[in-house]
Amino acid sequence: MSKPQFDQFKPLTVYTIYIASTPERVWEALTNAEFSRKYFSGFAVEMEPRLGGAFIIRAPDGSNHITGEVLEHDPPNRLTVSWNVNWPDLVEKLGTTLVTYEIAQAGEAVRLTMSERHDRPLSDDILSGGRTGWPAILSGLKSLLETGKAPQIKMAPPVKMLEALKAMGIKVPS
Amino acid sequence: MSAMDEVFKALADASRRSLLDRLHAENGQTLNELCEGLEMTRQAVTKHLAILEDANLITTIRHGREKLHYLNPVPIHQIGERWIKKFERSKLAALSELKRQLEKRDE
Repeated sequence: MSKPQFDQFKPLTVYTIYIASTPERVWEALTNAEFSRKYFSGFAVEMEPRLGGAFIIRAPDGSNHITGEVLEHDPPNRLTVSWNVNWPDLVEKLGTTLVTYEIAQAGEAVRLTMSERHDRPLSDDILSGGRTGWPAILSGLKSLLETGKAPQIKMAPPVKMLEALKAMGIKVPS
Repeated sequence: MSAMDEVFKALADASRRSLLDRLHAENGQTLNELCEGLEMTRQAVTKHLAILEDANLITTIRHGREKLHYLNPVPIHQIGERWIKKFERSKLAALSELKRQLEKRDE
């Protein structure tokens, strides 16, 4: 896709977490499959580390769950990717999702802010999937970097989001 | 003061909890929007927001010319991780869903 007009995308969900680590290690954990599998329920982040590179999140069964493109690439400080769930008609109906990670040194810790931006208003039900998932993913990332281990968090399926998608005529996997 | 002390201290104030409620109802508000219809002065709201941000219960981001405020549930999630055992999670989710459904029926 061509570079979107970022100003048209409003942040609808923003999370910040402090991690006792270095910006370089946080960047690596966010962009490396071996790391991400440990804190992201087995999902592998596969990223070509350059502007315009491919960004994929592969499900444990090998399928592409998220497909996107690297839109801002300033290691280890700032990364923006398009983040589109590969379900039929989803991008057409919900528009592109942008995810930005901002990484900054804050004293002895690193401040990581994740923002999810959209080009149209979306209901809380649609956003509930991400709002359930992100705190668990970010806490897992923090544990992994600070202790070497990430707790396996069993997450319930985002029922409200799935119902809202169905109501919009988007086919969701059963 | 530890990070968790700051969270509990920030939560131990009804005005600050009401600001969190407002962000829960509508995330991503400006200072002006947050002040609307409140009994508090703008200065008081600014001060409470700073305490909430220091405790990492809210986070702010620039969007164009505006500074937007967002509820940040990450510290509350971490408190949950600390004291709620994994096997209790699904039972708690079921209980809060039951409570939600029953209260909805009363409306």
